[in-house]
Amino acid sequence: MKRTKVSTVFLFLLPWLVSFAVFTAYPLIFSIFVSFTDYSGLNPKMTLVGMKNYLRAFSDPVFLKALTNTFIFVLITVPATTVISLFLGLLLTSGIKLKRLFQAGFFLPSVISMVVISMIWLYIYSATGPLNLLLNSIGIRIPMQSWLSSAKTALGSIMVMDIWSAVGYYTVLFVAGLQSIPIQLYEAAKIDGATKWQTIKGITLPLLKPTVLFVISINSIRSFQIFTEIFTLTGGGPANSTQTIVHYLYDTSFRKFEMGYGSAMAYILFVIILVITLLQRKILKGEQL
Amino acid sequence: MKSFVYTLLFIFLVISLLPPFLMIFTSFVPEGDLFNRTIQKALADFEAPRVVLLNKIRPLKTSLNIIQEGNNSFAKIEQSSDFVGLGFSLGSSDINMLKFVSFKIKNAQPVSVRIGFKDIKERVEYFYEQQIPANQQWSTQKIPVNPKALSLDTVHISQLRIEFKALSDLYIDDVSFVNNFPTLYNFIKVLGSDNFGRYLINSAIVSVSVVVGNIFFCALVGYCFARKNFRFKETLFALILGTMMIPPQVTIIPVFILMKNLNLIDTYWALILPNLVSPFGIFLMRQYIEQLPFELDQAAYADGANDFQIFWHVILPLCKPSIAVLGINTFVLTWNDLFYPLILTTSREMRTVQIGLALYQKLNVFTWPTLMAASTLTGLPIIIVFLIFEKKIISGIIEGAVKG
Repeated sequence: MKRTKVSTVFLFLLPWLVSFAVFTAYPLIFSIFVSFTDYSGLNPKMTLVGMKNYLRAFSDPVFLKALTNTFIFVLITVPATTVISLFLGLLLTSGIKLKRLFQAGFFLPSVISMVVISMIWLYIYSATGPLNLLLNSIGIRIPMQSWLSSAKTALGSIMVMDIWSAVGYYTVLFVAGLQSIPIQLYEAAKIDGATKWQTIKGITLPLLKPTVLFVISINSIRSFQIFTEIFTLTGGGPANSTQTIVHYLYDTSFRKFEMGYGSAMAYILFVIILVITLLQRKILKGEQL
Repeated sequence: MKSFVYTLLFIFLVISLLPPFLMIFTSFVPEGDLFNRTIQKALADFEAPRVVLLNKIRPLKTSLNIIQEGNNSFAKIEQSSDFVGLGFSLGSSDINMLKFVSFKIKNAQPVSVRIGFKDIKERVEYFYEQQIPANQQWSTQKIPVNPKALSLDTVHISQLRIEFKALSDLYIDDVSFVNNFPTLYNFIKVLGSDNFGRYLINSAIVSVSVVVGNIFFCALVGYCFARKNFRFKETLFALILGTMMIPPQVTIIPVFILMKNLNLIDTYWALILPNLVSPFGIFLMRQYIEQLPFELDQAAYADGANDFQIFWHVILPLCKPSIAVLGINTFVLTWNDLFYPLILTTSREMRTVQIGLALYQKLNVFTWPTLMAASTLTGLPIIIVFLIFEKKIISGIIEGAVKG
């Protein structure tokens, strides 16, 4: 193919170039700068304060709590979601009828917005809501209070809700991954007399590794950014027991108007996500060599 | 083994679908919640001590006489040549879901009864006046109510009045309201009281604009990457894919400052402009256009068409399948987004439906049915889109993931 004129290419790429420059590159650079200032967001005055915002973050008990909560959230929901959706993916590809119906049913929660999901679970978790009603009817006596209003149960409840809402999405990815495994391999295993579990362990899981890694990494990236459910359900409470990085960042930047500090938090989050992505790339590359 | 697999799948299906089902179902419940539906709501059974009853029941031109008979207590209304009766205090109640007013009566002589409401502006209106034939035993009267026909402020009703004109004493008991079920009133209330109509329109405007922009611009850029040969092509493309992993929280503060300086905060532009081109869309369109036969371009080129004409007249019409995938997925993402609109809008009029819903339970006195009705209004458009385009949405997810 011959080179196209630079001007033509430039015109075609213009929409992306403008959008990239204005809404990605410039903000990315500008927010590094802001993170080294005491910018409030209310008046244009900003003074350089050096590393102060970053140092402050790591001595701010609320930020450390948010960091811990976010890590707990990711370390529990991501493995749980992966295992459940892999299990569902295996069930769906085991040659059953009505596969599309089941898959669509599992997937439905992941098209519904997190705000709507939060409202449904606010109702489910409420003091006299369906969950307490169910527990009562099977004889489990628990204090009649909302699951979200106690510091002990709030984060756990939000995790269960998140796993419920995300499983269908990753199931679809696993189904796609499972279907791309050549059927001849399974037939060969059958001829060799392998049991179902041996086939899964020997063929399916090793070949599915890239999908598993991909699922874990995009789910981790998404989970580190958990915000909507915290904003709508608990506002970080009770007693910061559900405070997360992004929610605290939002609170700091847009409620307390400390945008310099907020930007520093955003960059800490970005670095965490960057490390995960690079780690995943590295593992994948090592696999293929 | 097979039946075990089906059982497991079925259990998971129920778990997946039960919460959305709860939401939709609860929004048709008049009061209470799905499992404790208040279809019939007791106003007075006269079982409490007289002093307590007097807090809620006001005698109208008579006095409150409580009679006890065995376990049951009820009220006696004395004979009178004019209407006398009881007023039941409702605070400031919304009676729009009301279907019947129901009470039990025992009257030795025929009696005229009239029933009315009083609203918080102290206006009284009677909507029912009829004779009830004599009855020595308790009989239940169900009086139909048509809230729409009342001239009162039916959202703020303070009192129900039941009055009698009788030649002899009579007795009443168990006064209650019977609500409509299922009812659409929760939706009407949400749309009317909290601007939900406006929120829905805002979300629709923003989502449709972003979808149209994405289809056009992503196809344009995707076409260039698929068909043109230029320096740094693959580097640029890697850069595009790389931007996919930048969390929006990192860029939001500068974008907010930028929008503020451009005076675009609280306009549709603030919500549309940053989302007009998406890396996912460019990737999707490039993949699709690359597998279209190149001869099409050459034939058009030979006919003297320029690059844009080829794109517009030849390539774009052939991209319908991937345009559908991109359009639907973009619509779902934009409609569901909370973070961007939350930060870039400030006034009530510019809120999208997600913000409206997130703030609904914080700013309003809500009942589960109205909250679920608000949620249904927010979620149902997407559920419907999903039911129609399930295949496209899922294939969009898979194609987006293939590169991983």
